[in-house]
Amino acid sequence: MNATCTPSTCSPSTRSAPSVGVTENLQKPVYTVAGNDDVYEVRVQLPGVAKGGVKIDLEDNVLSIRGERQSTVPEGWKPLHRELSTLGYQLRLRLNTPVDEDKLTANLENGVLTLKLPVKEAAKPRRIEVQ
Amino acid sequence: MKLARYTPSFDLGRVADFDQWLRHPFAGFPAVGQLLGEFIPGAAGRLATDVYEDKDNYYARFELPGLKKEDVKVEVHDRLLTVSAERREKTDQNEESFVFSRSVSVPEGVRGDAIAAKLEDGILTVTLPKQEERKPKLIQVD
Repeated sequence: MNATCTPSTCSPSTRSAPSVGVTENLQKPVYTVAGNDDVYEVRVQLPGVAKGGVKIDLEDNVLSIRGERQSTVPEGWKPLHRELSTLGYQLRLRLNTPVDEDKLTANLENGVLTLKLPVKEAAKPRRIEVQ
Repeated sequence: MKLARYTPSFDLGRVADFDQWLRHPFAGFPAVGQLLGEFIPGAAGRLATDVYEDKDNYYARFELPGLKKEDVKVEVHDRLLTVSAERREKTDQNEESFVFSRSVSVPEGVRGDAIAAKLEDGILTVTLPKQEERKPKLIQVD
C-alpha cells in the first residue's frame, strides 16, 4: 500500500472500500456436523433468527452461514437485566468433500438451521465386488 | 489468588445500568440455577435470561434453540418463575439428552394467573402482567 497516497490523489480503485474500518460484531453459533457416505447434515443453533434472516453461500468449498436476528427487543421494553447476546451469527465451514450444490437443502425450525449436503456421486466410496 | 464473583453479563458489558437492576424487585434473588452456574459458566444446564419491563408487563426471555413447545415447562410457584427444558432423544447412532433450568424471582404485583409464555424462533418469552395498581397512573390536574 502506498503510504503517501491521499484520497484526492488516489484513483478510486486503490481507495479502501467504504466497509473497511466498520467492525461488525458477529458470534460463532453452536453447530454439529453428522454425516454418512451419502449426505452430510449440519445443524446450527440460531436462536432469534427468523426464516428471512438466514443467508447461506457455498463458494470454493467454503460454506458460509449468516444469521441476522430479528429486531431484538420490541419498542418500549426497558431492559432490567441482560445476559443474552444480541449479536448476529456467522459460521464458515470448509468442506473437504465435494457436495452437490444443487441438491443442498436448508430448513430453519425453532431457531435451528438444518442443512443437508449431499455428497457428489463421484466422491462416494465405491465398493468393488471381488469376483 | 483473588476470587472474583463471576457475572457473565459484566464481562461482556451488557448491563447498561447495573444500579438500576440492583434496585429492581428482581434483584437480590439470584436464582438457584444462577448460583450453580456461576461456578461452572455455561455448564450446569443454566439458561441465560433477559428481563425487561414496559408499562403493562414484565418480560423474561430465554434462548431455547431446537426445542419444541412440549419440551419446555414454565412454572410459577411462590413468586418464583422456573423455566425448564428437557429432551431425551435416541436414534440408532446418536443419543441426545439434556436438562436446562432457570428460576427468576417474580416481583410483587404480578398477576400470577395471567402469565403467558410464547416460543418463537428458539426464543421463549414469558409475559408477566403487572397488577393495575402497579401501573403508572396519570392524575388529572383539575
